Amino acid sequence: MAFDWREYRSQTFDELVEESGEPRLAAQRLIEYLSSLSEPEIAERRLASELAIKVMGITFTVYSDGRNVDRAWPFDVLPRVISRVEWERTEAGLKQRVAALNCFIQDLYGEKRIVKEGIFPKAVLADSVNYRPQCEGVKPRGGVWAHVCGSDLVRDRDGTLYVLEDNLRVPSGVSYMIENRMVTKRVFPELFETTTILPVDDYPAQLYETLAGLSPRPGDDPVVVLLTPGVYNSAYFEHCYLAQQMGVELVEGSDLFVDVDDCCYMRTIYGPKRVDVIYRRIDDLFLDPETFRADSVVGVAGLMRAWKRGKVALANAPGAGVADDKVVYAFVPKMIRYYLDQDPILPNVPSYLCYREKDRQHVLAHLEELVVKPANESGGYGMLIGPKSTRAEREKFRKLIAADPRNYMAQPVIALSTAPTLTVDGLEPRHLDLRPFILSRDEPYVTTGGLTRVALVKGSLVVNSSQGGGSKDTWVVDVEDG
Amino acid sequence: MLSRLADNLYWFGRYLQRAENTARLVNVNTILSMDLPRRVQLGWEPLVELVGARAAFAALYSVSDEENVVRFLSLDERNAGSIVSSLHRARESLRTTRDYMPGDVWERVNDLYFYVQDKGERSLGRSRRQEFLDRVMDGALGIHGLLVFNMSHDVGFRFFSIGVNLEQADMTTRILDARSTRAIQPRSAEDAAPFEAVEWMSVLRSLTAHQAYRRQVRSRVAGAPVARFLLQNADFPRSVSCCLLAIRQTLPHLPSHPEVERRLERTLAIVQNAKVNTLVEAGLKGLMDEIQKGLDALHEALSVAFFQVSTAIPAPTPSRTSADS
Repeated sequence: MAFDWREYRSQTFDELVEESGEPRLAAQRLIEYLSSLSEPEIAERRLASELAIKVMGITFTVYSDGRNVDRAWPFDVLPRVISRVEWERTEAGLKQRVAALNCFIQDLYGEKRIVKEGIFPKAVLADSVNYRPQCEGVKPRGGVWAHVCGSDLVRDRDGTLYVLEDNLRVPSGVSYMIENRMVTKRVFPELFETTTILPVDDYPAQLYETLAGLSPRPGDDPVVVLLTPGVYNSAYFEHCYLAQQMGVELVEGSDLFVDVDDCCYMRTIYGPKRVDVIYRRIDDLFLDPETFRADSVVGVAGLMRAWKRGKVALANAPGAGVADDKVVYAFVPKMIRYYLDQDPILPNVPSYLCYREKDRQHVLAHLEELVVKPANESGGYGMLIGPKSTRAEREKFRKLIAADPRNYMAQPVIALSTAPTLTVDGLEPRHLDLRPFILSRDEPYVTTGGLTRVALVKGSLVVNSSQGGGSKDTWVVDVEDG
Repeated sequence: MLSRLADNLYWFGRYLQRAENTARLVNVNTILSMDLPRRVQLGWEPLVELVGARAAFAALYSVSDEENVVRFLSLDERNAGSIVSSLHRARESLRTTRDYMPGDVWERVNDLYFYVQDKGERSLGRSRRQEFLDRVMDGALGIHGLLVFNMSHDVGFRFFSIGVNLEQADMTTRILDARSTRAIQPRSAEDAAPFEAVEWMSVLRSLTAHQAYRRQVRSRVAGAPVARFLLQNADFPRSVSCCLLAIRQTLPHLPSHPEVERRLERTLAIVQNAKVNTLVEAGLKGLMDEIQKGLDALHEALSVAFFQVSTAIPAPTPSRTSADS
């Protein structure tokens, strides 16, 4: 027996199915096709996807019981569908946003016009954890600091797509976006014949182009490397994957050194070889024990020296994380107006900044309704989710906010849209978000769609893979093309 | 090729070979103990000496009986040279090189490692020991075979192969060396003679060399011809000469480093020029020590030439990258 779509009901906006139970235009073919399959047939496809993931070796690393374990990547076979028209608008919005963010970072490490003109408060900058004074006066090529950005998008009950945060340090997940598509092609090959699904596998080539373009020795065949903290990092799979796909060397800090000529070299069996561009997947503070944390064993001594003298390019540039702050986030719409003289295409989630007296009063009075976030945590840590909190938790946050108002901001709870997901109880709605990746260069590039992360636990809003989250293939579908 | 990658591939070869050889040693001693009459005592302690772990063993165990020695050599994680430790280290070396290798190598190494971890404990008694050790030896040989036939014989493979050969040369020397500290302790002189041949046979067996020996040497199993065979035979893959000749063939495919070649030739000359016949009577110990020193020097030269690229500014080296025996 086939699944009865009339029984499918989401409590909020659903990506594939309208409130009436009818499929959305872009998802029509997919739903029709799924309706033609019996439930055992769908379950069979699910098994096929699990097998594909195992055979393809798609894993992520979790640390448990004192051992690092490679877990199979949790994946839901039913894709999330976005219409091309909506995507084009989103893409334009993301490019606009990242352009403004790059202007902002360059400005902060240069003239600080935005601070002098009173648009961005000096106090917020002074308390920024990710501001690196060591970067002042540096001008990376083209004024680009955040070459790779991963922005998280969420859709509210009314269908509005918001930017929830911008990850400008070492955003990850893009390899899973590509692998998810590979799996879907194996599991639902028929659908690719009847639907125009835009491809996603161009990303590694685009990333390579972006990186190679940063080489301080133009004309030569640039030597690009990917710097990983090593096998114990949870994103190591992705580091290997991207290095392989781009055909560049995957290096650890101990493979590199900066010589007296301030150039960076890697140790090879043929002797030292000069490196031009480093796509670094380690945090600023571990990059260079000479400049930042002296106890870092994953970094390269002298790397900042080499970068400042223009002998090696770093992507993302050190210090780019200054814009990766949830308080700074609230100023992005203003940045877009200030630097680009444009209206923001994608809205921010409304935010209350606790360092402002009026906002703080509002937050403290409405703790039960709001999500309170620290400025610089990632991965969903250190948050208070008002409606699900206990009195004791709220009291704790009341004190935290009072002690360090700069470090807290609050937002209304976003319902997070859903999509049909295959669960043990059949097809059910599950909440999800979307992380597209934006490459900044002369002609910026945005991934087609991005990585859809889905909370596999019923009712949960937590999409992180370390906390019961999975992912879905994301289709940008050209409806007119048929 | 990154130096770290070459280093890891080299050590992967060494650890894999070490795991196999250690399993073989335990196996042969077990079989030998069955061949001997009760009044002849079979010592297990020499195995500990042979792998150079006397102090480590003494710190952990008070009695060097069969049970303790077998445990120490097979499953004791505190013994850096045990089967489980060697496989663990092989696996760790492979972590960062797995993309370089055929995909199923990682799976096989994992399988073997987890098998030893999970099934080892109940396999130490004599009834299950043989099956367990067979599985380890077969597993290691299977992985080796995968690499030989499914991997390009590029520079990376060559470092793996140097590791394998150097480790084997080292192990073969150790086994011969152990002959000078006798495995069998007869209670009287007249008991000694008949077991002399049994003992040398066990040396051959622990290197799977008995068939090759029979075919090529055609003389009874005795000290001098066995030692000559295991040191100087150019065709048997576990003989010291054969291992060193294999390394010699590999070197022209790598960047040239005269120091490495010099070390290799010097060691090879010691092995090939040794007057084995006279030495067997006087004791092999001196010769074995000399060869061991030569092998160590070769390892050192390889390490300096390929694995530690010298820099003006020393970079921090995290301990986990410096795999060590």
